Amino acid sequence: MLHRRIFQFLIVYLLGIGLLFGLKLALNLSDYVIPGPIGVWHTGQAEFPRYMGDVMDTFAVAVIGQALSIMMALAVGVAGRRATWFGSFIKVAAYNVQAYPIVAIAPILFILLGDGFLTRLFIAAMICYFPLLLSVIGIMSEPVADIEHFYRVTGRLRWQLEVKIRAFENLHKLTTVVSGSATLAMAGTIVAEFIAANAGIGYSIRIALYQSDLSKILVALFIIGITLSLYQGILELLGAGLKKTWASG
Amino acid sequence: MKPRITFFRLTALVLLLIVGSGLMAAGEVLARERVAYRLKWLINASTAGDVFALSQGFFSREGLEVTVKAGGPERDAIRELELGYAQFGVASADQVIRALAKGAPVVVLAQLFQVNPLQWIYRADDFSLTRIQDLAGRTVGITYGGNDETIMRALLATAGMGENQVRLASVRYDYTPFFQNQVQVWPVYRNTQGIFLSDKLMAGGERVAFFDPSEYGVRFVANSVVTSQKMMRQHPQTVQQFTRALLAGWQTAMEPANETAVILAVGEHDRDTSQAVMHRQLAVTRQMIQPDPDVPVGHIDTAAWQQTEQIMIRQKLIPGPVNVIDRLKPQQTP
Amino acid sequence: MILNRYICVKQKDPKPSKLQGEFSFREKMIACHDITFRYPGAETPLFDGLDVVIDTPGFHALFGPSGVGKTTLAKIISGDIDTFSGQVNAIGDMPCLYTYNRERLPGWSPVGRHLEKTTPRGRQPLRDELIDHFGLSELMGMRFAQLSMGQCNRANLLRYLLQDFRILIMDESLANVDEPTRQAILYKIKSIFPEAGFLYISHNVVEVSRFCDQIVVFRGAHKSPQTLRVAGQDHHENQPLDKRALERSMLEIMNAA
Repeated sequence: MLHRRIFQFLIVYLLGIGLLFGLKLALNLSDYVIPGPIGVWHTGQAEFPRYMGDVMDTFAVAVIGQALSIMMALAVGVAGRRATWFGSFIKVAAYNVQAYPIVAIAPILFILLGDGFLTRLFIAAMICYFPLLLSVIGIMSEPVADIEHFYRVTGRLRWQLEVKIRAFENLHKLTTVVSGSATLAMAGTIVAEFIAANAGIGYSIRIALYQSDLSKILVALFIIGITLSLYQGILELLGAGLKKTWASG
Repeated sequence: MKPRITFFRLTALVLLLIVGSGLMAAGEVLARERVAYRLKWLINASTAGDVFALSQGFFSREGLEVTVKAGGPERDAIRELELGYAQFGVASADQVIRALAKGAPVVVLAQLFQVNPLQWIYRADDFSLTRIQDLAGRTVGITYGGNDETIMRALLATAGMGENQVRLASVRYDYTPFFQNQVQVWPVYRNTQGIFLSDKLMAGGERVAFFDPSEYGVRFVANSVVTSQKMMRQHPQTVQQFTRALLAGWQTAMEPANETAVILAVGEHDRDTSQAVMHRQLAVTRQMIQPDPDVPVGHIDTAAWQQTEQIMIRQKLIPGPVNVIDRLKPQQTP
Repeated sequence: MILNRYICVKQKDPKPSKLQGEFSFREKMIACHDITFRYPGAETPLFDGLDVVIDTPGFHALFGPSGVGKTTLAKIISGDIDTFSGQVNAIGDMPCLYTYNRERLPGWSPVGRHLEKTTPRGRQPLRDELIDHFGLSELMGMRFAQLSMGQCNRANLLRYLLQDFRILIMDESLANVDEPTRQAILYKIKSIFPEAGFLYISHNVVEVSRFCDQIVVFRGAHKSPQTLRVAGQDHHENQPLDKRALERSMLEIMNAA
């Protein structure tokens, strides 16, 4: 699962970068528009350690943000799974907040939380929390009638059992959603760093953009991609392991 | 030029579809005498001459149909020249020099700002900055990776100051740290943001002053008009016509008598700035476009360009000399 | 003590005196009167003033082609559907349970552990006896998903039989079970629970004719009356089977349908 993820990423990345180089060659574009392979390689050699550190910094924030989001989404999703006013309120709130551009909200967060860890964490959590929440609510509000029926008619269906049944039956979906939310958390953190922080790979990308240095961007994208692929692969493995353990427990 | 653009766009479309990205909106196909002019930033007082030249028919009188495109943080006129999305553009000197370092076929036709509007604002009641050394111990805002970082580092180097003598603080477009006095010296575009900030602080009873690097020997060149070498070679007349019209537009726009018309032209695009503020913005802009009446609008300050290149070499922003003066191609002025 | 239990959600002009006169409403095991029900979006009602009565406890059947409303009536009786008009009365102070053949046990534990957890106190011997008779002894350590469809249905039915119920509605609960096993299970159920009421939904005319006491034959919404009641053979293990009577029951069912 892990090596497949990395392999898939490498294919996409190499395809993309190969086509860029192809364009450069075909149109005789300067290194300013599209850097050459040697330039990218040299930039990679020079910047890899620093960018790797930046990506790890970003990644740490993203993982914490994602973990918080998962916990909050599970708690609120379980509470809001019934077709109640609260449940519909959560959905409306989630759709609304999703519609707000982060670039508009970021300066407000910056004023409230400063330009450090908390702002990055908040934006990362915000970007990945609501899709997670909607998925959790969707999963938790959908009865698994074929299993729940017995427990319901015999008076055994307490909320914990209901949640357990729905989580178990949708474990694959939940794993996919959690794995997918890793991308959102990472993207959220990078956006946060880009617009309202002084650390992380998003901040470094902003500087590279100021310097019109596409080589650095390509190197950063590579490290972000490979890190994310690894993380998603690990999450999928964990999900599969969890299901296996649960199913054999 | 046309088949190349078509090929590029088709190939780019395929590429971006494959990698799952969006494709930038395609511009209009270049036709004879129809040219696109990409600005560096959004339309405001800093682009007064550009929009005025368009609205007052300076371009059309030269037989040109010009599309003036607003710039922005993700826009890069030099890239667009090479890709054929624009035939003329505005770029700062550091952009030009970086592009040259990477082999971009760009040439400079005119230098719009004789004084770089990128300066630092501070509260005049708290302290005064009459020399670079006065920055010592202050918290100075810079945009890491931006021009202001380069300029500030050049200033410190000029004064023989180490970076440990000032506290450099990263800034962005949110002014809160300056309002809260966490950052005491804040980088602004003197002719636009500088006016807003002055007004805000003055409304609170505070006086402001500006720290202008050019007064201390650092003349880092700002916005200039650029085109491609290919354009120069293949359409020299169009280049001349464009430059002539543009600089005539700027010259006329900077005449105080035309201020109302200029404000109207800029106001069509910049609806968030009041006319009163725009008057003051134009007054400052005028001093930066033509500080010396004997120096024509658009004059290319070769020495300043050389200094800019030297600063960038010293700060290792480029790997080596690019001989930028070879790419300075002043055109016939009005 | 047996108490009457009303599951009526809606009563359409109940007229109690008339009801008691016509149906002895409170004395029947199951009495459904004037049931009208339409599925949301359907043009015509599935039931329009339907009356169904099962007089006594025992093993009974709902029979008819697919789509005539057997499952719907079963759910109305058990209370799983409450958006009907009319009256339903089921005798007893214990629940009327409805089980169907697609039910599943959760996958996180083996079947045996689930059965242990859902067996009421004191019924472990009954559970072990049923496991043995249902031919499930070897499967207790397996996950539900690992069982065949017939095994799944047997395990599911078994757990219902361990619960408190006065009436158990078995909606194709022995589907995919081979005939000898099915036969053994039905005999066992009838011998262990002689006082309980069962409603067995099946498409097997031989089976319902042989094992069931009263067979409610559904005739479709367009026929009047919508159901007819036919007497079955109510056969028990170790009893002689009157084959001619069985054939007669089968013929009556076929004619009624």
